[in-house]
Amino acid sequence: MVHLLEIKNLYASVGDKEIIKGLNLTINEGEVHAIMGPNGAGKSSLSYVLSGKEGYVVTSGEILFKGKNLLDMSVEERAREGLFLSLQYPTEIPGVVVSNFLKHSLNAIRKYNNEEELDTLSFMKLLRKEAETLGINQEMLKRFVNVGFSGGEKKRFETLQMALLKPSFAILDEIDSGLDIDALKTVSEGVNALRNEKNAFLVITHYQRLLSYIVPDVIHIFADGKIIKTGDKNLALELEKNGYASFLKEK
Amino acid sequence: MTNVSLIKDVELFLDDKPSVFALRNEAKRAFLNAKIPSKKNEIWKYSNVKEILESDFDVLANDEEECRCGCCSHHSDENFLNIVFCKGRLHIEEYNLPKGVNVISLAEVLYDGEYKKYIHKTYDLEKNFFASLNGVYLEQGVCFVVDEKIKEPIIIRYRNNDANNLMMNVHNLFLMNKNSKIEVVEEFLSSNDNKYFMNVVNEFLIKEGASFNHYKVQKESFNAYHIALNSIKIEKNAEYKQYYLSNGAKISRNETLVNLDNDDARAEVFSMYKAKKGCLIDITTNVNHNVSNTHSNQYAKAVLEEDSGAVFQGKVYIAKDAVKSEGNQLHKALYLGDAELNCKPELEIYADDVKCSHGATSGEVDKEQLFYLTSRGIAKEDAFNMLINAHLEEIASLVPNEDIRYKFFSSLL
Repeated sequence: MVHLLEIKNLYASVGDKEIIKGLNLTINEGEVHAIMGPNGAGKSSLSYVLSGKEGYVVTSGEILFKGKNLLDMSVEERAREGLFLSLQYPTEIPGVVVSNFLKHSLNAIRKYNNEEELDTLSFMKLLRKEAETLGINQEMLKRFVNVGFSGGEKKRFETLQMALLKPSFAILDEIDSGLDIDALKTVSEGVNALRNEKNAFLVITHYQRLLSYIVPDVIHIFADGKIIKTGDKNLALELEKNGYASFLKEK
Repeated sequence: MTNVSLIKDVELFLDDKPSVFALRNEAKRAFLNAKIPSKKNEIWKYSNVKEILESDFDVLANDEEECRCGCCSHHSDENFLNIVFCKGRLHIEEYNLPKGVNVISLAEVLYDGEYKKYIHKTYDLEKNFFASLNGVYLEQGVCFVVDEKIKEPIIIRYRNNDANNLMMNVHNLFLMNKNSKIEVVEEFLSSNDNKYFMNVVNEFLIKEGASFNHYKVQKESFNAYHIALNSIKIEKNAEYKQYYLSNGAKISRNETLVNLDNDDARAEVFSMYKAKKGCLIDITTNVNHNVSNTHSNQYAKAVLEEDSGAVFQGKVYIAKDAVKSEGNQLHKALYLGDAELNCKPELEIYADDVKCSHGATSGEVDKEQLFYLTSRGIAKEDAFNMLINAHLEEIASLVPNEDIRYKFFSSLL
């Protein structure tokens, strides 16, 4: 099995607050891992640490991504190496048009990987095709990034970005939040279609519900900045039944 | 320093014609009495133009060289009907204009007399230092007479590549007859670092039911000075809209003076500008709501680079009888470093039952937006530039004409 991501004894802080406290996690190619945990456990913080957001400081430990030191890379380098974070609350950017944003993004990644950059025509053709597959209205491509998007549209747009950029490792931070059941289905189907034996996903969620659509290979329970239990998909059912409290006590 | 140093002894076209001489002389008298722009002068308090006043510019006399740049075709913008000024001098040619609009040179106006009566009628010469200076050299310019609704936009291109240490004065008249309509683009360009001084006065008379869309793109050399006065009188049910983009010149001031003179007269002034390091951009707008039921709106968005300066000032004046009027002013700035912005929107209201607002916001590039873009692989610097342009593009996207909108988008870069 090829390790895609290795997190070793990681500690991280935001300001004075320690948020990750001794995390170990290895994710292999082709795997889907889920992280579940109560509010405030540090799940979203972990996704920011991985993507390199300003203000999230690693105090000790290491992270290897495809064998390279992830912590040495800037936010954009991580993305170009194949890391993708689907945000819980995607940011609105008035004035930046969706298609223009995605063209810049895809070409930056292609250039980094020594692939030819796409001209506007071939890019738009590709974008329209991907949008159509996900049932995304072509009108959305002309709008400003996330501005005036409904909750469902925002998540669908995140999925479109994944489909286009084809990351080797995607973190889905509460991709189910703000979605009704139909939207949840579409988004999950979109994600499932991207799964292959070379890439991996880390799904962050509160609820078991999502995991019956995006079925994980491994489930971790995350509390107080670290993983306190790991199991297979049945762990989610157990959690749904007994709540987090029972696991927190075990700890 | 005295005003006299800016007056050069040059021979102008029709100096020997008494009525023309009188016009210039009236301006000269006003200019010599006008208060020199300085900190002590309220309307110039925040914009230091001392270096313009202290420069010893040359002025082209009438008999000096015709333009030798081999124009005009390569100065034309093929998307539009073109009128070209080179080094502040109008290229006279046969314009292939649509029916309903006539464009004549200012020289012709001065010679012939019919429209001469409109010159200097929309503002007080003595209160406008640079406009009166402009009047001293009254010679170059065009006069639009519009009788119908004109679909094709007309572009006036001021090409200043060959201007070196020149002071150029241009005076245009836009006479909009009843129910007429036109879109005019003014484009000020220079692609080198020459130092010169462009001093423009535009006067607009917009009669009942007429509509004027004024687009202005100022991308002059970073050693150039640009001063403009747009003075507009608006009649019943008529409107004037200005879209101004400033992305150049060492010192630039775009002053707009609007008089809303009759029922349901409207004016809107939209500005977007990027103040570069060492540059000063001044946007001054004064709107007089002289009668009831008149409307005005000012909206400006700014990007200020490190060590740049900007001034946004203006007054919305609502006369005693101007009830049911509406006047709004808003300025939003984005700082890229330490820069100086003097923002002074004023309301002076003498009537009851009016709707007025003014506001100003300022901030830096949004970190969450920057993170979102970079987390998709876009280089930080590119992401930064995308966000800066996005800030300004909100104004550019308001431009109704697609070709002109495209021009604005590309001029932001």
